Amino acid sequence: MRRLSLLLLFVVAAARGAATIPPIEFRHRVLPNGLEVYAIQDRSTPTVAIQVWYRVGGKDDPEKRSGFAHLFEHMMFKSTANMPSEMLDRLTEDVGGWNNATTFNDATVYYEVVPSNYLETLLWAEGERMGSLTVDDGNFKSERDVVKEEFRSSVLAPPYGMLFHVMETDSFATHPYKRPVIGSLEDLDAATLDDVRAFHSTFYRPDNAVLVIAGDFDPQQLDAWTDKYLGAVAKPSTEIPRVSVKEPPREAEKRVTENGASVPLPAVVLTWLIPQASHADSVPLAAVNTLLTEGDSSRLREKLVRGEVAQEVFANADLREDPGLFEIAAIMASGHETAEAEKMIRNELAALAAKPVPVSELEKVKNLMLTSELRDRETSNGKAFSMGESVVIDHDANGINDNLAKLQALTAADIQRVVKQYLLDGKAVVIDYREKK
Amino acid sequence: MKRLVALLLVAAVESGSIAAAVQTPPPPAAPRETKVPQAVEKTLGNGLRVIVVPKPGLPLVAARLMIRTGAGADPKNRDGLAQMTANVLTKGTKTRTAEEIARGVEALGATLSANAGWDSTSINISVMSANLGKTMEYVADVARNATFRKSELDRERARVLDSLQVTLEQPDAVAAMVASRLVFGAAPYGHNLEGLPSTLAKLTRDDLVKFHRAYYRPGNAVLVFAGDLAAEDAFALAEKLFGSWKSGAAAASAAESRRPERAPLHPRVVVIDMPDAGNSAVVIAGPGIRRADPDYSKAIVANMVLGGGYSSRLNQEVRIKRGLSYGAESSFEPRADVGPFAATAQTKHASAAELVQLVRGELDRLATTDVPEAELLPRKAAVIGGFAFSLETTSGIVNRVATLALYDQPLSDINQYVPRMQAVTAADVRAFAASHLASKDFSVVIAGNAKEFVEPLRAQFEDVEVISQAELDLSSPALRVRKKKE
Repeated sequence: MRRLSLLLLFVVAAARGAATIPPIEFRHRVLPNGLEVYAIQDRSTPTVAIQVWYRVGGKDDPEKRSGFAHLFEHMMFKSTANMPSEMLDRLTEDVGGWNNATTFNDATVYYEVVPSNYLETLLWAEGERMGSLTVDDGNFKSERDVVKEEFRSSVLAPPYGMLFHVMETDSFATHPYKRPVIGSLEDLDAATLDDVRAFHSTFYRPDNAVLVIAGDFDPQQLDAWTDKYLGAVAKPSTEIPRVSVKEPPREAEKRVTENGASVPLPAVVLTWLIPQASHADSVPLAAVNTLLTEGDSSRLREKLVRGEVAQEVFANADLREDPGLFEIAAIMASGHETAEAEKMIRNELAALAAKPVPVSELEKVKNLMLTSELRDRETSNGKAFSMGESVVIDHDANGINDNLAKLQALTAADIQRVVKQYLLDGKAVVIDYREKK
Repeated sequence: MKRLVALLLVAAVESGSIAAAVQTPPPPAAPRETKVPQAVEKTLGNGLRVIVVPKPGLPLVAARLMIRTGAGADPKNRDGLAQMTANVLTKGTKTRTAEEIARGVEALGATLSANAGWDSTSINISVMSANLGKTMEYVADVARNATFRKSELDRERARVLDSLQVTLEQPDAVAAMVASRLVFGAAPYGHNLEGLPSTLAKLTRDDLVKFHRAYYRPGNAVLVFAGDLAAEDAFALAEKLFGSWKSGAAAASAAESRRPERAPLHPRVVVIDMPDAGNSAVVIAGPGIRRADPDYSKAIVANMVLGGGYSSRLNQEVRIKRGLSYGAESSFEPRADVGPFAATAQTKHASAAELVQLVRGELDRLATTDVPEAELLPRKAAVIGGFAFSLETTSGIVNRVATLALYDQPLSDINQYVPRMQAVTAADVRAFAASHLASKDFSVVIAGNAKEFVEPLRAQFEDVEVISQAELDLSSPALRVRKKKE
């Protein structure tokens, strides 16, 4: 028998002053083969987003096969028992929809947005490629060349591509997060068709997947079609391997120099270890990110960019299933050195820890984050992404609504505390990046 | 072969259907009709056109104040003026400093940006509907009362110069800038929209003030709102904030920025030698069409067959069949005057010449053979689907509607888009391609490590110009720094 539980969640957004967002209502089911299904209905336009999240990502790349989870993602558009290669495009693009897929460190997501009368067709197709892949060697090699081209155009061609490529390798000591998701050209060359087959049977199975549907559907039809096409995929009896490596706490600060081929202006990146996405400090850390670099009035943009020391400054609360990174990067303005930016960044963090942020600045951060979340929810695909992230990365489906309530409740003391605890721990990794001499 | 058979067997076992006949996907149900959002409009007494597209639902509004003049009106030797004017516009008014504007807008949770296009300049906001009125006060203030302080110009100039240094190390950006020069020569649209170090150095506060005074006028502007608001409230807000904006003698400016018809330039084959580049960037480009061209629908459909979307011919040949690139695509950019057509892709240096040959072959195939109906129908569906998705968000609706207004198309055209695209036939595509997409009329640019591809390129073309990064001068169609006399 299948288990069905209906969850209707309403957030009471009670913080004074700040605006509220209507909660997302979702239905949740688990099929007997272990597939989890989340469905968000919105019949305002006749389109529907279908996403399948597999709990496998760059961190699960096999030994000496960095980049494999992502290479595999490309193979999922090739042939199955009943679909020739690229048939997914026939069922989406050719009928006025679109599709894509993304490989993250922790998960791989396949998504389609189509006119809603094609929902059944796409559920069939997702069942197909969850059940089997029949990629041949010609397809495999040609698609591997595409991925190598993706590597060249995203890592080698942009002046700062290499910096963000090496950042994780420099920042993690033992966790497989140290391997970039795109991998290396050598490891991609070493991959074989046998690896593809093994990866599919190990990780691409219903009990390792989450189906998210958002948009125009009839709930009864959706349930029937999900049972028929995805409920029929067998659940293997083998264990799903999981990464068990724990990143050790950093002992001390570490400084590295990295080089790129054509780097007109030097850059500096600082990273710190932060807790996993499911941790209570995720929301305050995301708020610190906004406070530091979102908008021209943000702390670091005012000081560094408007102050003409840096050409650009970025920050990222890079929250993952396992402990992730807080990253701050600055590309220098000409005539300025990375040491200046590093010092200013550290001074600003110290100031944040020393003195509570003014109420008006805290309200600004909340308003910016709420408005940004509203924009993410304008599309069915955006809503499905928020849902999938909550389930797969944050391990808390209700987080899609609860995180907004947590944001409303955030205090200046929370900001002060997480800055002190995580960003002033004296254990930053500092990467100095400049042109190869 | 053995491996393949084994794999098929395993796959069949996995899906629990050994020896099953090949299944076909379940067919679609009957489609539901898509509703196209409807615009209402009003023109204020001073000539400002206000357009509203109500979209109830999420408490969010996007808005744009569009000036009907852009970088196409940059004066000679002042490349980048329209964009620099937009940059400095938000950096201070008679009553507010740059910091006060940024802090004020962001306190409302809003985003505010100002950017020049070729035919227009846009001040865009996105904000929760409850904060729309307050955010629009900032839009009105910067549009009407910007002061263009010299210190702010100097700061922005330094920032753009630094960003250009980075851009000029990217092969795709360099190839695109060179292609614009080859298509438009010294005429408008030929320069880099953000300017070049040589022209940015010349910009003065006075240039910005004059540009602003000439073109930022209610009779030369359109205000567009989309989202969670009532039309009457939007009109009232527009009247309150812009009603007293003095009209002036600038209404002719948009027409002035349009240049008379030019003879097409002779196509060239140009290599920019970037030995350290991580990849080669290829652009094949030529003159395209005006937005008002009666063949607009044919251009959109022809391009979708050729290089629009994932399953276009270019991506099929270059990526899917041969693995030569992460993606190959093409597009028309119809403008007030004839805008460019360009096909672009990146590839490893050694494949650049092969890629050029493939793209040119596809251009000529479209011009000489009919697109089969089985290919044309899905490509038209992709065009129509893309149109529907462009109307999914408030900012997407604003962009669609503002673009119609910019090019003097009736707003009711939003209802005509689908039937017009559906009416395009294979014969239309072939005839359009024959007159607009012949490879012999297009220039070729490759930016990358020349020594890896220049020989096979010379086998395809008699005249290949190779220009080193150091010699490259984007300020003139010659593209080469003039050598000083000894």
